[in-house]
Amino acid sequence: MENGFIILFGLTMLYLAATSRIISHVRLLVAQGVLLFLICACHFEHQSALNITFLTIETLIVKTIVIPWFLFKVLKKTKANRDVSANIPHFYCLVTASIILLCGFLLPNHFFNSDTMKMISPIYFGVSLATIIISLWLITIKHKIISNVIEFITMENGIFLLSLSVAKEMPVLVNMGVLLDVFIAIYILGLFINEISKEFKDLEVSNLSDLKDYNND
Amino acid sequence: MINTILIFPILACILMALIKKRAFDCLMVNLYAVLHAISTILLAMGIGRDGNIPYFTVDNTNLIFLIILSLVFLMVAIYNNGYVKTLDYSDKKIGHYSFMTIIFVLAMTGTVLSSNLGIAWIFVEATTLSSAYLIYFNKTKHSIEAAWKYVFICSIGIALAFVGIIFLNIAQGNINTLDFAQLYKHANNFDTFWLKMSFVFMLFGFGTKMGLAPVHFWLPDAHSEAPSPISALLSATLLNSAFLVIVRVFKVLDIAQCDYWARIMLLICGFISLFVTAVFVYHIKNYKRMLAYSSIENMGILAIGTALGGAALYAVILHLIGHSLAKASFFLTSGNILELFGTKRIKSISGVIEADKKTGWLWVFSFLAICAFPTSVLFISEFLIVKSMIQNEHYILCALFVLLLTIILWGIAKVTIKMTFGKLSEDKTQIIKENKNKLKFCMFAPQFVMLLIVFVLGVYVPPFLNNIINCAMAGF
Repeated sequence: MENGFIILFGLTMLYLAATSRIISHVRLLVAQGVLLFLICACHFEHQSALNITFLTIETLIVKTIVIPWFLFKVLKKTKANRDVSANIPHFYCLVTASIILLCGFLLPNHFFNSDTMKMISPIYFGVSLATIIISLWLITIKHKIISNVIEFITMENGIFLLSLSVAKEMPVLVNMGVLLDVFIAIYILGLFINEISKEFKDLEVSNLSDLKDYNND
Repeated sequence: MINTILIFPILACILMALIKKRAFDCLMVNLYAVLHAISTILLAMGIGRDGNIPYFTVDNTNLIFLIILSLVFLMVAIYNNGYVKTLDYSDKKIGHYSFMTIIFVLAMTGTVLSSNLGIAWIFVEATTLSSAYLIYFNKTKHSIEAAWKYVFICSIGIALAFVGIIFLNIAQGNINTLDFAQLYKHANNFDTFWLKMSFVFMLFGFGTKMGLAPVHFWLPDAHSEAPSPISALLSATLLNSAFLVIVRVFKVLDIAQCDYWARIMLLICGFISLFVTAVFVYHIKNYKRMLAYSSIENMGILAIGTALGGAALYAVILHLIGHSLAKASFFLTSGNILELFGTKRIKSISGVIEADKKTGWLWVFSFLAICAFPTSVLFISEFLIVKSMIQNEHYILCALFVLLLTIILWGIAKVTIKMTFGKLSEDKTQIIKENKNKLKFCMFAPQFVMLLIVFVLGVYVPPFLNNIINCAMAGF
């Protein structure tokens, strides 16, 4: 059951790589939030009440509701729709993302032979690393500023999954701080998107390349 | 005392939000700076270290970082009093500026004082978020570009550092801790493969914040677009606090005896930083960007010194002090020049000395301090690093080091001389005369004090400071 959810989580990244409509990317973030909640829920019997509360708030409320809602609002305000002009056609995006995900499934099995690593589940580890790498790679090829923010969030989701894969827990204080920081970061990035859309006529990354040293003036 | 430094700013911010008076906002920044300095002096004397709140501590390693932060903040706060008067923004905006400055310094203090890697991570990210507004303060197209790059690149970097923390957790086996003291205690039992992996991620993660090449891209943009007092804080204190976290993690690897790997990584990053600076300073067009690149260079020197270890560590700490003070002074003086000439382009500036004697000479002496002209303390530190390289028989590295530093020196010297001396163009004389009246006494005094310290430390290191430095070396 748990593995099924993790594989579904991995597949959402392929969807992200293959589609261009930003609104469906935001919907995908909702799906990822729900999946992360379900993955957490498989472990609830082993955890303290405090941790359960925290994980529920983090996944169900922040990741599934608050952040996507905020992004929907930004989308409405800036009227951004499609990220059509990615550097690489979507088909190749899909192929590359699939290869990374496949490596994520296969490679950890070779890594986890030593005894100390028994506490980590290879599938968790592989999928979360693949998610992080796919997100970073997508950030480099997408042209819309808002897509970059969405991929930043999927990267954070991947890191969240990775931290779940370590059987040991971080202190709740650290977890809360991390959540708060990430949330504020996304909030600030969202505000900046609004400012950028006021300042420039479209939300292309290429608008933000004026500051450099070797220009021709 | 630790409580005072960490809780006062929160109270101050609440009060500022309630009162909303320009004079009160400025007063709070000054009050925090003074309280910060007093608390730091008491902590350095060993008073009030007990009864700490959990997760925060003052130990031998972070004391020197705290002292630098305190001193630079005090100087910047003094400068700020004059700087705020030159701005013609609304009271509300100045209020936001003061508010975010206090939060920014609080976040840096939190990073420096934290005794737990997780908490340090949280505060490093908090520095990014609080300074984003300050970089965007002028609300121009360029400042939004700089702020966007800053938040985005640093957030990704810090996220990768978190992956490093998770790997560190994996490396620990059955132990589950992020407390630095506990990490040092158990470091011998850690899995070396995962420890090395975690260091790679943390070096690049926190290195992004520290401004080490090749992950420095946000730095020149952010430093050049921020208001000058904020540039000074960014360069002289923010980069240090990220460096402290790297040093702490490096120590874990040192104890676990897989530090060879870490040293190589630091050395490579250090030399790439020097190389990047040498390439870009050669053709620089904007003097604030030049100072930003010089920060990258100095962070590279710190990384190289840390990698060499041994006697070079003394040099690293001296360099840390010298660079922070000299660079803060350089940035603050660049604020004066920007005020006088109204441009950041090197091409349109000449004859700073003719325009304003004090600014001109501060500019020259800041330059002499940063390029390690004796008796600047940076001369001693760079000399010790070169000596350490020769003693360890790294002759090629030594030659490369000296060569790159010379190119950088030439690049910076060319710009400084061009700007300082020469003839002031006729059409600007009138505007400059008007602008000159805006420069108050408090916009010169801090630089003078900092430069004085830099040049005196090159000849005489007082015994108490020597003691603190020697204690701090144990933490590297």
